[in-house]
Amino acid sequence: MWWGGRGQSFNIAPQKAEPDVGSVRRTGTLEPRSCQLGSHLASGCLPGEQILAWAPGVRKGLEPELSGTLICTNLRVTFQPCGWQRRTLIHVSGLSRVQLLRPGSPLKFIPEEILIHGRDFRLLRVAFEAGGLEPQAFQVTSAIVQARAQSSQAQQYAGISLSKAGQSSGSRKPPIPLLETSEDWETERKKQGARGWRVSTVNERFDVATSLPRYFWVPKRTLDSEVRRAFGHFHQGRGPRLSWHHPGGSDLLRCGGFYTASDPNKEHIRAVESMLQAGHSDVVLVDTADELPSLTDVQLAHLKLRALCLPDSSAAEEKWLSALEGTRWLDYVRSCLRKASDISVLVTSRVRSVVLQERGDRDFNGLLSSLVQLLSAPEARTLLGFQSLVQREWVAAGHPFLTRLGVTGASEEAPVFLLFLDCVWQLLHQFPAEFEFSEFFLLALHDSARVPDTLTFLRDTPWERGKQSGQFNSYTQIYTPGYSQPPAGNSVNLQLSVWDWDLRYSSEQILQFHNPGYDPEHCPDSWLPRQQPSFMVPGPPSSVWLFSRGALTPLNQLCPWRDSPSVLAVSSRWLPRPAISSESLADQEWGLPSHWGACPLPPGLLLPGYLGPQIRLWRRCYLRGRPEVQKGLSAPTISGLQDELSHLQELLRRWTPRVSPEDHSKKRDPNTILSQSH
Amino acid sequence: MLGKGVVGGGGGTKAPKPSFVSYVRPEEIHTNEKEVTEKEVTLHLLPGEQLLCEASTVLKYVQEDSCQRGIYGKLVCTDFKIAFLGDDESALDNDETQFKNKVIGENDITLHCVDQIYGVFDEKKKPLFGQLKKYPEKLIIHCKDLRVFHFGLRYTKEEEVKRIVSGIIHHTQAPKLLKRLFLFSYATAAQNNTATDPKNHTVMFDTLKDWCWELERTKGNVKYKAVSVNEGYKVSDRLPAYFVVPTPLPEEDVRCFQGRGIPIWCWSCHNGCALLKMSALPKEQDDGLLQIQKSFLDGIYKTVHRPPYEIVKTEDLSSNFLSLQDIQTAYSKFKQLFLIDNSTEFWDTDIKWFSLLESSSWLDIIRRCLKKAIEITECLEAQNMNVLLLEENASDLCCLLSSLVQVMMDPHCRTRVGFQSLVQKEWIMGGHCFLDRCNHLRQSDKEEVPVFLLFLDCVWQLAHQHPPAFDFTETYLTVLSDSLYIPIFSTFFFNSPHQKDTNMGRESQDTQSKPLNLLTVWDWSVQFEPKAQMLLKNPLYVEKPKLDKGQRKGTRFKHQRQLSLPLTQSKSSPKRGFFREETDHLIKNLLGKRISKLINSSDELQDNFREFYESWHSKPTDYHGLLLPHIEGPEIKVWAQRYLRWIPEAQILGGGRVATMSKLLEMMEEVEHLQEKIDERHHSQGALPAEAPSLLRSSARLSSLFPFALLQRHSSKPVLPTSGWKALGDEEDLAKREDEFVDLGDV
Repeated sequence: MWWGGRGQSFNIAPQKAEPDVGSVRRTGTLEPRSCQLGSHLASGCLPGEQILAWAPGVRKGLEPELSGTLICTNLRVTFQPCGWQRRTLIHVSGLSRVQLLRPGSPLKFIPEEILIHGRDFRLLRVAFEAGGLEPQAFQVTSAIVQARAQSSQAQQYAGISLSKAGQSSGSRKPPIPLLETSEDWETERKKQGARGWRVSTVNERFDVATSLPRYFWVPKRTLDSEVRRAFGHFHQGRGPRLSWHHPGGSDLLRCGGFYTASDPNKEHIRAVESMLQAGHSDVVLVDTADELPSLTDVQLAHLKLRALCLPDSSAAEEKWLSALEGTRWLDYVRSCLRKASDISVLVTSRVRSVVLQERGDRDFNGLLSSLVQLLSAPEARTLLGFQSLVQREWVAAGHPFLTRLGVTGASEEAPVFLLFLDCVWQLLHQFPAEFEFSEFFLLALHDSARVPDTLTFLRDTPWERGKQSGQFNSYTQIYTPGYSQPPAGNSVNLQLSVWDWDLRYSSEQILQFHNPGYDPEHCPDSWLPRQQPSFMVPGPPSSVWLFSRGALTPLNQLCPWRDSPSVLAVSSRWLPRPAISSESLADQEWGLPSHWGACPLPPGLLLPGYLGPQIRLWRRCYLRGRPEVQKGLSAPTISGLQDELSHLQELLRRWTPRVSPEDHSKKRDPNTILSQSH
Repeated sequence: MLGKGVVGGGGGTKAPKPSFVSYVRPEEIHTNEKEVTEKEVTLHLLPGEQLLCEASTVLKYVQEDSCQRGIYGKLVCTDFKIAFLGDDESALDNDETQFKNKVIGENDITLHCVDQIYGVFDEKKKPLFGQLKKYPEKLIIHCKDLRVFHFGLRYTKEEEVKRIVSGIIHHTQAPKLLKRLFLFSYATAAQNNTATDPKNHTVMFDTLKDWCWELERTKGNVKYKAVSVNEGYKVSDRLPAYFVVPTPLPEEDVRCFQGRGIPIWCWSCHNGCALLKMSALPKEQDDGLLQIQKSFLDGIYKTVHRPPYEIVKTEDLSSNFLSLQDIQTAYSKFKQLFLIDNSTEFWDTDIKWFSLLESSSWLDIIRRCLKKAIEITECLEAQNMNVLLLEENASDLCCLLSSLVQVMMDPHCRTRVGFQSLVQKEWIMGGHCFLDRCNHLRQSDKEEVPVFLLFLDCVWQLAHQHPPAFDFTETYLTVLSDSLYIPIFSTFFFNSPHQKDTNMGRESQDTQSKPLNLLTVWDWSVQFEPKAQMLLKNPLYVEKPKLDKGQRKGTRFKHQRQLSLPLTQSKSSPKRGFFREETDHLIKNLLGKRISKLINSSDELQDNFREFYESWHSKPTDYHGLLLPHIEGPEIKVWAQRYLRWIPEAQILGGGRVATMSKLLEMMEEVEHLQEKIDERHHSQGALPAEAPSLLRSSARLSSLFPFALLQRHSSKPVLPTSGWKALGDEEDLAKREDEFVDLGDV
């Protein structure tokens, strides 16, 4: 069992961070051995983290049982097994529930066992050792309960200082491009072969939009001044930008909703239109919100799912399926997949500009555009590719992680990112040979969403992230004086991101991020459709479509302002979904309009199944709190075989040194997996 | 390229393909008719098979890509099958055809496989039976293996329609006599065609030797003996000719109630405990007779309860477990989820998939069977008790549970040969009424209960949860479930061994000089080529290294994860008392005064069960030891391969389990290759030159429904219905687009 063998920890949203490393409290009554332990623990603390209480205990519920120490700090609850190195700790999110098993009330009795349910579906079950240490058990328990009570008030992570103790200060190349420099964007643009596009520096100082990255891609012919003007007419200044250039010639764009209150002049409209059109003669506007759940829906479903997956969930076994259906979580997963599959056909089948439009452009646009890329681009299914994808479409694009994951306690909590991970897991499950990363990688990503040691998921906008990491020392004009200048020496360390997996995971665990069943021969380079001439046509687009309700409808114009009433401003929601009855089916031609041709879909394109029986529950993630369900998940046989293979190869090599390792010895080294290939 | 008129007029008719697989519209029929007569596929008849009626110009609808396509051909009905003969070959020249059934073609439906027939009259679907006044324009056939066929009869001559429809209805629905089964015509005609697979080591349990061998294998021969008292079915025609009873049981006792009321041995556990079964004594009202029954049972219990026999725990399956009615209702609801007439229907049900699934309660029934089997296992393994399964005839749930327990406890039953022997022992010789339960003779729908399918589904759950523990694949289970309806194998076409023997002419000399030689389903070469048979074998299964050949189950083969629950002295003594009490219950039960739930609701037993279950699951699995399934809500799954395989919407191209299989096989091969190399170095031989099925070698992306995905998709998946498309029919636009299209094509 991969997940069981390590320490576990849970974060508690901090009350107030005091970047004071030296202030770890040590209980004076400790025995020498424990004292040592205490200092050892302290060395593993994050700056500003204080150990509030600890007690020796035995982690139960998983085999083998581990003895170790349960520690409660002001940031998290962590269980540190004896003999484990600090770096093997896994940190996870805020607590959702503390439950004491044997004694009824935590404050009156000395607990024998404590059960902690993590918000990320994890369960930590620790039995305390008998024999003189009961006071400590009591202490740690009440500390946890207290910390939990405090953290339920709205608190900010804002103050956490993120310099990493113990990290060598040597400059370190990020494992993937963090897209914080224009060079990163340029490299990525070239990689995609987006020749009609350029990196715009118009937002370098975050004065177009703080939620946008400093750099993004705009059509080559568009001037920065036009970009600035055009973006002003979009919600929160999030105008159309390139997400992905399909090698076949199509472009996938994303943008916010039209800012209806604005009154653009003709020139502005032309700028907006040409940016949406991106030089293609066909433009398809995709109404992102259509047929997808609302943020509230997602949050509600996630809460229900969490309740259902608790170990003492009241749902009876024979009612499990309808309870699962009742959460609607899988329904939402399915609708995301369905929509993404539709869009990827739109992008793949013909050269055109496909624009994802969502009012905020920070939630489902990212989800859909990443899913579309996963479906259509084999390179996005590699470990590196996927991480860059998330960095680009979620982190850099300004998905409000902090708000959506509920770390701030704000009301806009909606785990859209977790929904996305579930969608990816479904793909992984349906196409086990097409992804380089494994389920464990997704789990690690899932759990990292709340880790307080890197900035990646703990900020709402690129601006805030950059502010914290001291990127703008040279841009004092936007520098808010409320924040103290970070120490100069720290700026290197602050480059750490969630992608530095070795911060939190051991190399064996990182090895498991690799999907042993990945069969790269499945996606040779020849999957690419021949590059079709892109129609960089000046002038208005010849056809404009709205993709909504699972169908294409022609639109008169791209922008809502030119004539009124506008199409998108009214919202497409009133459009009835075409009623498809069995009778009409017989006559109706399905498929793409004939002039688009029976374009054979390229072999690299995955079309996911999204039928009821095909959408599964991600058990290894959601049922982690129910060890009885978890334990039996049989070990991945492929990796078992791979181990045997390498063992045999090793044996052979020892006997016959002259036998060249050949292709057999595909050495799997965590560094090669995660480091950049170029 | 496409002309304007076509685009504007019809919404894009595709150019007809070289074969006449094409879109069919009523107005086009006349143009196609000429082609129809040109190509015809000859009907392959099995020995003894007779053509009964036929109809030409029948349109078989192909439900794929959500568009209505059709193939013209001939619909025939023989005394074995309904077959559609059309030019389908173009779709078949790919890898999937290698997994072709030699007996049943893609468009063949054996008469026994027909579940329900519907006719479409003026767009309305009605079930068809009996004499028809009006003949339908479309025939819909639902099969028991969940295929759905649509045959359009609109262009067929009227008298042909009459003949074929009434022929099909008659031959599939009218009650039949056993002697009229195709099985006999086939066996008579194919007398010399008795190829027996030399590799087929399945134990048939039709000789005394087989039973002795099984006793030996399980070390049951210390306390149990095989008896031949029923030779020639002199005692009972429900019992097999040979069976096993406790050693001290006198033969007269067997005769006393025609074999009822005596404990019959099923299997012995490594610790000496045995699984027994017993059919209930007839219910009597008369006090005197009751008294006789009581003293008879007392006598039986005295023999069985003395040491060396363990305490007996009785599981009364007819009173507090599933009823056959439950199973029947659940399955008929469940199968409706998969018998899809068109994709719209599919999408309608899809929204409520989980709750529909749950309301059928089929999965819950599976769970209950698995749970009961775990309970029995716990008694045998942890409590050292004998378990006696009690049922009216000991031939339905008794078969299911005893074989399930053996699959879980005896690794031999997880090999293919072992599994087949198990089915042979518990189901065929156990007298499961296949003829009635499958309703092969169409005599009573009420008797039709898919008990055997339920068993296969339970085994599938186990195999799905523990893939390396099974020698066979889910494909094996699927084709086995299909074989239930192929009337050339005798295996599943009799109610009891007695019925089989009497009808085979072994007993009577009047008809033939030599007895008929019937095929057994275990001879897989009848259905599949060796290449296709590779798909029945699980490449992940690792055989247990056989260190000493003689001893399959000795002390050293003790399960590695057994008995973490020692039966302490203090615990066992109350059980002694408990047992006495229980015997009384048993006798009461047997005598018809059912006292329900006294045994099973005991809290103590529930706790034992939980503890046993949890402690097993908390340890690493030994695939050659005891194997328990997970039975929590999320763990019981739909056997997708069997139930979804004919639904084109459900396939994932390039995905599913099969996607990793080729990689896996490649690696297995490499491991074996290296092992061989290492063995060579050790100067010892014996590494198996294993062949991976080359079926999976092709670079083409297989569908998740492999190997059953015969409905291949020819075009790209329909994704975007273009509702607004026709509204756009602007000529200029079209012209312009056409140019672009040409451009694209030229690149």
